[in-house]
Formats: sequence, C-alpha cells, structure tokens
Amino acid sequence: MKQSPINLSWKGIAVFSVAALAVTACGPDTNGGDGDDEASDADWSDVEPADSIVFATNHPGGSEDLEDELIERFTSETDIEVEVITSGANYEETSQWFQTGGGSNADVVVLSDATWFPNYLNDALIPVDDVLEAADIDVDGYVEALYEDYLYDGSHYGVPYARSTPLFYYNVDHYEEAGIDGPPETWEEVAETSQTLVDEDVAQFGYAFPPSDEYPAWGMANLVWGYGGAWSDEWDFSTVSSDETVEALEFAQSGVEDGWANVAATSQTDDFSSGVASQTIQSTGSLNGILDTAEFEVGTAFLPDGPAAEGETPTGGAGLMLASASSPEEQLAAAMFIGHMSSAESQAFFSEGTGYVPSHQDSDMSDVYAETPQFETAVDQLERARVQDYARVFLPGADLELATTLQSLLTTGDDVREEMERVEAEFESLYETDLADELED
Amino acid sequence: MRGKSLTTTESRPAHTARDRPEASVAPEQDPARLEAARKKAHRRRSSKNWSLFLLFAGPNILLILAFIYYPLAMNLYFSTLDWRLGAPRADSVGLANYQRFFTSPSGLEVWRVTGIFTAGAVLGSMILGLLIALVLNKKIPGRTFARTAVFSPYVLSGVGVALVWMFIFDPQRGALMFILDRLGIDSPQWFLDPDANLLMVIVVYVWKNLGYCAVVFLAGLQSIPSDLLESATIDRAGPIRRFFSIVLPLLTPTVFFLLVTNIIFSMTNAFDILRVMTPTGNGTNTIIFEIYLQSFGQFNRAGYSAAIAVVLFFTLFIITAVQLRFVERKVHYQ
Repeated sequence: MKQSPINLSWKGIAVFSVAALAVTACGPDTNGGDGDDEASDADWSDVEPADSIVFATNHPGGSEDLEDELIERFTSETDIEVEVITSGANYEETSQWFQTGGGSNADVVVLSDATWFPNYLNDALIPVDDVLEAADIDVDGYVEALYEDYLYDGSHYGVPYARSTPLFYYNVDHYEEAGIDGPPETWEEVAETSQTLVDEDVAQFGYAFPPSDEYPAWGMANLVWGYGGAWSDEWDFSTVSSDETVEALEFAQSGVEDGWANVAATSQTDDFSSGVASQTIQSTGSLNGILDTAEFEVGTAFLPDGPAAEGETPTGGAGLMLASASSPEEQLAAAMFIGHMSSAESQAFFSEGTGYVPSHQDSDMSDVYAETPQFETAVDQLERARVQDYARVFLPGADLELATTLQSLLTTGDDVREEMERVEAEFESLYETDLADELED
Repeated sequence: MRGKSLTTTESRPAHTARDRPEASVAPEQDPARLEAARKKAHRRRSSKNWSLFLLFAGPNILLILAFIYYPLAMNLYFSTLDWRLGAPRADSVGLANYQRFFTSPSGLEVWRVTGIFTAGAVLGSMILGLLIALVLNKKIPGRTFARTAVFSPYVLSGVGVALVWMFIFDPQRGALMFILDRLGIDSPQWFLDPDANLLMVIVVYVWKNLGYCAVVFLAGLQSIPSDLLESATIDRAGPIRRFFSIVLPLLTPTVFFLLVTNIIFSMTNAFDILRVMTPTGNGTNTIIFEIYLQSFGQFNRAGYSAAIAVVLFFTLFIITAVQLRFVERKVHYQ
C-alpha cells in the first residue's frame, strides 16, 4: 500500500494551500480596500441611543472608584448601562490593546495625546463633532487648547478627560536658605537661582532635567517654544534644527556643563523630592505624589518665559474617543457618556481625586484650592496652554528619538546643531516611511 | 534446504486453499478468511492505536499547532507586509523588511548590542557559575543554605529583580553609590550613559542567571568519579592541574549544554530586565527589545517587527544547529 509520490505531493500542496489561506485570511487586507467608515456618516436625527455601552479605561491616576461613581451618576440620569473594561496599566497598554483587537467591543476608549493618532490612522475612531452636537453636548466650555489637541484635518476625535500639563516645582526651604525671594519667571532667572542654590551649597543641583524615559520632549517643549523654536510646525520638521531650537538646547546643555543643573538618573521627581535638586518641571499629575513624599514645603509656579515667548505650556494626558466599529446607536450613547465625563461637575470631581487639571473652564475647584493651594497654579496656567507639536504626538517614533537625543545632548556635550540636523533627517525619514503615503492619499 | 523445500512443495497435491471445496476446510484454516481476519484485526489495532494516540497526544498537538505553529506561520506572513499595528490594511512588500533590518544603521547597532550583551551574559554567568559550583561542591558549613541562596534569584521575577537593582545602581541615592562614595569614587552615570547602561543590565542578568549555571555545574561536578580525582591527588597533581586535566574535560557535556541554553536564554529571556531598567533602550537595544520597540514602543511597525522576530528565530535555530553539529564533537562524554 505504498502511496504514490503524486498523491503525497498533491496532499502536501493541498495542506499548504489551506494553511496559507488560513494565515492570509486572518491578516490585514492587502488588496487595497479603503475601509470606509459608515458610522461616521450616520444621520444622527434618526438615531436612538443604545441601552448599554462599553467603556475601556486604564483608570488614569488610580481613578477606578471615581470612574465608578461618575458612571453611576450617568446611569441614574440616562438609564444607559456602562460596562467598564480595564484595558491596561497605562496609556500605551490601552492603545496596544485597542489596536490589536482586544478592544473590538469597546465603544469609548481612553487614549493619550501621543497614542490616539495611530488609532485615527487605523480608522478605529470617529470624528466627534456631529455626534456631540446630536447628544446636546456643549463643547465651548472645554479649555480650548485641551480640546484642540484632538483636532486633525478639520475634525475633533475626542474630548479632554484626564489632562495634565507640566508645572514648575521649587523647594521653598532651599529658597529661604539661599535667600531667594520667589520662583523664577524666565529661563535666565532659572539659571541664576540655580547657580545661587549651588553656590550656597543648599542643594547638589539647582535644577533637574528629565531623563529619556520621563518624556523630556514634553517637559522641555516650554523651553524650546520660549526661545521661538519647536519640534515641528505641523509636518514641517525644519524647526527642530532651527537657530531658535538649537539656542534653547544649548542653554540647557550649558546648565549641565556649568553644574547648576543635572539630568535626573531615574526621574526628576525623585531628585526633587529627595532634595538633590531644588527645582524641576514635572507633570501636574505628580503634584500629589510630590507633596506626599517631600519633607519640605513645595512651591509651584508657571513655566518660565523665554526670550521670544511667554511661558507656553504644553498640554498632555488623555482624552475619551469613540470607536468606529460601534453602531450609530452605541456611538450616540457613547457621546452622551463622554459629554458627562468631561462636564464641569464631573471634571471638578475627577480632578479633585486624581490631580489632573479640569478640562472644563466652569469646574469649581475651590475645595481643592483650599486644601492644596499649589494646585491653583496648575489650573491658572491653563490660560497659557499650547497644543503640542505634530512631531512629538503624531509622528511614530519621533518622541523616542527626541528623548534619547535630548538626554545624550545634555549628558555628553555633543554638538547641538549637528545632532538636531540628524534628528530632522530622521523625522523626514520616519514621515516618508510611515506616514506620507496615508496622509497624502 | 531450499531444494528440499521446493521438492516438498512440488510433490504436494496441486490443491490450493482457493480451489479446495469450502466444506472440506475448517473456517479457521481458510487462508482468505485468515487474511481478512488478520487485516481486520490490524485495522482494529491500528484504529485503537490511533484513538489512543489522538486521546493522549491530540490535545497537546492542537495546543502546539494553535499556540506555536499557527502564530509562527502568521508571523512569517506578517513579516512580508508593510503593516502598522492594528491597521485594517497593509501592503505586501516581500522581503523588504528583512533587507531594511540587515542594511539600516539601527539594525546593525542592534546586532552589535545583542552580541555584546550575549557574550557578557553567557560568559559571565558560566564562569561565575562554575566558580560558585566549585565552592558549593566542597563540604563547607551552611552548604545547603548557600546553594538555595545562590539559586533563588533565578526563580525571582525579572521585574522585581530589576526594580531592586535600580535602587542599587541609583547614582544619587543607591547602595552602590554609598559604597563607592566611601571609597572616594564617583558613581558612574549608570542610567544616562549608554555604555554604562549596557554594563549594568549585563551585571543584573548575570546575577539573576548565576544560580541556574551554578546548580547545573554542581550536578556535573558531582557526577565526576571521585576515584579519578583521588588517583590524581596520589600522583601529586595539584588542584589547578586536577581542574584542567580531569574536572574540566569531564564537565564538557555540562559546559556544552549550558552554552546552548544560555545563548538562547540571553537572547530571549532578558526582556523584563531591559524593559524595566532601560525603558527607552538607550544603549541596551538588543534584538528582543527591538522587536518590542518597533511594534509597541511608539513605532507601531508590526510587519517590520515580525521580520525581526523571524530573524531572531532563525538566528537561534542556526546557532543551536551549528553547536550541535560542530561543538558537540569536541564534547567528552564519559
């Protein structure tokens, strides 16, 4: 009963073909389909909200209980049930989960300033403008720069939820010991006070810059903008190596070389809280943690001005997005939900419990100010909020490139212009490789 | 014998089982029926064997197909695509992802870092593991506790180990800084300098992996016949001579085993330490970390990342095959 070679080879080919079909059938479409988004074209006047929706969240700032409370209020007002899915430990994990199909049944998802854009490119999100209007959500109350973070190509793709900005922190005890009256208002003054703190032997360093894993391109955007530079001007990357950007980074580099500043080894929060450095810039979201660990009085101030601009404050944190895979009914219910979560009352409640800044201008924060006066600075500073540069939040891999380059520049004394010209070329390459085809289609 | 047998056969009456009247042959002696019964029994046995095989091995085979070969095949397919993670569409690019990895400066840097990390991790673990095993093989007080203590880091969570070592290496507040400070030495910038970063993760990986090597070496040492060592001692061979002329040659199977497993482990199992201690891969971007970074660490290049994973698979396959083919020849089995 020996099998003929022909039979064997046919069987082999058949098995291989079935396996190949199985493999290719489960992958992405390689036939040039356009993946039209039907839901975004819905006529909202004919749509009734669904009875239940799914909310995917990483509970930013340890907000699980707060979110449960807000959801309970929403359900009692609307009778819409909300199923909560913990989608990861942080924004990156949530985005990975959503991108890889784990979130295929999510109607609302928490995505950060730096992770929503790939999901937009994947057609996984819908523009929220029309559906928010259909759900009677007033978007005029949002802090403008926080809402504009989600603006791309004429449409908004989310609403601001767990938002933060960098804030200037200083050690009041060190200031008193060194005879410094108050926090610096410009970067030149940062250098002067830092030098004084070091000269008076009050602290090892006057100021701590962030290391590469603490998003230095976010924390240092204020410095670069203050000198008139930027990481990009929309998709024009020449600004990253402009004279203004180079001058700003040379200023930072000289701070480390002159000894008034350092680059924190693990986190600038640790260096500041432990008294190694007297001043730093860190997220508003870190305020509660710093107040808990610091054994000295903590002061907060607006981000410093530069020679070319008032201290502009980069926005950060996460927003709430609507999934394109949901039905129009679910999307309408989801729009009502994100409107509730970003309302003035909800944001005041959420901000009080987490330390994120309220994204609604009408949020009453008086109770928080009474308990934590430092927080008022963070909220007042929102007037100076500026939408982040495309390169940092939209260009895949650019933030990592900036992070490693900035750390290297500050710690090695490499030529700033040469390095930033290399970064510009890298940005161009990343854009051409990963984005150009899709954005130009 | 053959001629006799033929004669006997030829001299027999020309009746065969087929042309014999059926009634004259007992059913149990009918060759056709016997053959049919034999085939039936064979089929039954075979069917029973297959059933048993499927019962015992089937679930495992299904699991292996579902969780190893299917993902492997999918990964091979993805490696031929220009595909952003989660995108509904992708472009087929053939071998372009592979070409890019082998020709780009970042790809070459990944090979350089992987080579240094693997060499440091494997040699460090094996040399120190052997030295510790030699000590633990002696009759010393507290030997059992020492063996447990040496092995325990191997079973600890890599994340936990990395977090503890981050505190030790912290140049501002760390335990190592404290010791160096007492000696009048400035702490290196472990987390900021790419070279120091790489050295730091090698040290941590070696510390965690040391126990595994030590225990395997210890088992190898205990299998060396003591009479050989006693004879050498009587012949006035010193400890160094005994080690290089008897112990080490008889340990070569253990060395070979550890070499193969350590190379594989160091290229695949170090991810947790690298991810926690150097989240941006600054100077520590080994091939396993590059796979993560390209797919999940901002770039979202699922196709390119899949190609690097395939390269890692075949790299390990080739290293293992070469070791089995050439290095094993030099191994001295007792």
